[in-house]
Amino acid sequence: MNMEIRSFGDITVLALSGRFDKNTAPSVATWLTEATSTPPANLVVNLAEVNFVDSTALATLVQALKRCQQQQGNLHLCSLQRQVLMIFELTRLDKAFNIFVDENHAIQSFAV
Amino acid sequence: MSLLHSEVIQLDVPASYYYLRLISTCIEELLTRMDNLSDRDILTYNIQLATHEVCTNIIDHAYAGNPQGRITMTLKLTPQPAHIVIHLRDTGDTFDFLSIPDPDLDEVREHGYGLFLIRSLMDQVTYNPDPGQNHWELVKYLA
Repeated sequence: MNMEIRSFGDITVLALSGRFDKNTAPSVATWLTEATSTPPANLVVNLAEVNFVDSTALATLVQALKRCQQQQGNLHLCSLQRQVLMIFELTRLDKAFNIFVDENHAIQSFAV
Repeated sequence: MSLLHSEVIQLDVPASYYYLRLISTCIEELLTRMDNLSDRDILTYNIQLATHEVCTNIIDHAYAGNPQGRITMTLKLTPQPAHIVIHLRDTGDTFDFLSIPDPDLDEVREHGYGLFLIRSLMDQVTYNPDPGQNHWELVKYLA
């Protein structure tokens, strides 16, 4: 799994690629914990290049969402591949997250 | 070329997260033997994910992280009726599969989705704890 980080004002984008699963989630979780340690925690996780998520990846993102909200921020997801989006729908986590078609929309929605 | 007879792949790997990708690759490769699968990407992913969740359950709970544990997997792809059977065997601790309820999906939870995904993504799921061995069998119809 590769992690790429970019900033737009006080919004940080984490772009992941590869498998996001039990084997790779700890490094993502470590980064997310650090990124949500101070307010405001406004994060976008770009999953465009992620072709596999498992229940550990879902747990990692839910933990980060809760931490962002505790830090006066939010966590947006964007660019989910179809099979990944279907898992969010199956678990109804698509209702918990703000999910956007692309990174620009996910960033711009923070300004609204 | 269409598959005329059942094909079987067997794999024996250490109970380690590192090898989960290899298990997914085996499933994908075997399914490429089946022509004309509708929604191939979705179907493949769902089978990979359910199998992956069983394996992480074995690593975390049956073996409780013991690196000496092994997972034996047999994949059987049958053309008529088109279906795949995945058998997984471990020699770790047993657990009461039926006693674990599905999560309340109206709550935003951090944990508890693994068994729910296994049950939801496959057509049949059985778990048989024999003395000294635990057997999982996952079945997915492909038509």
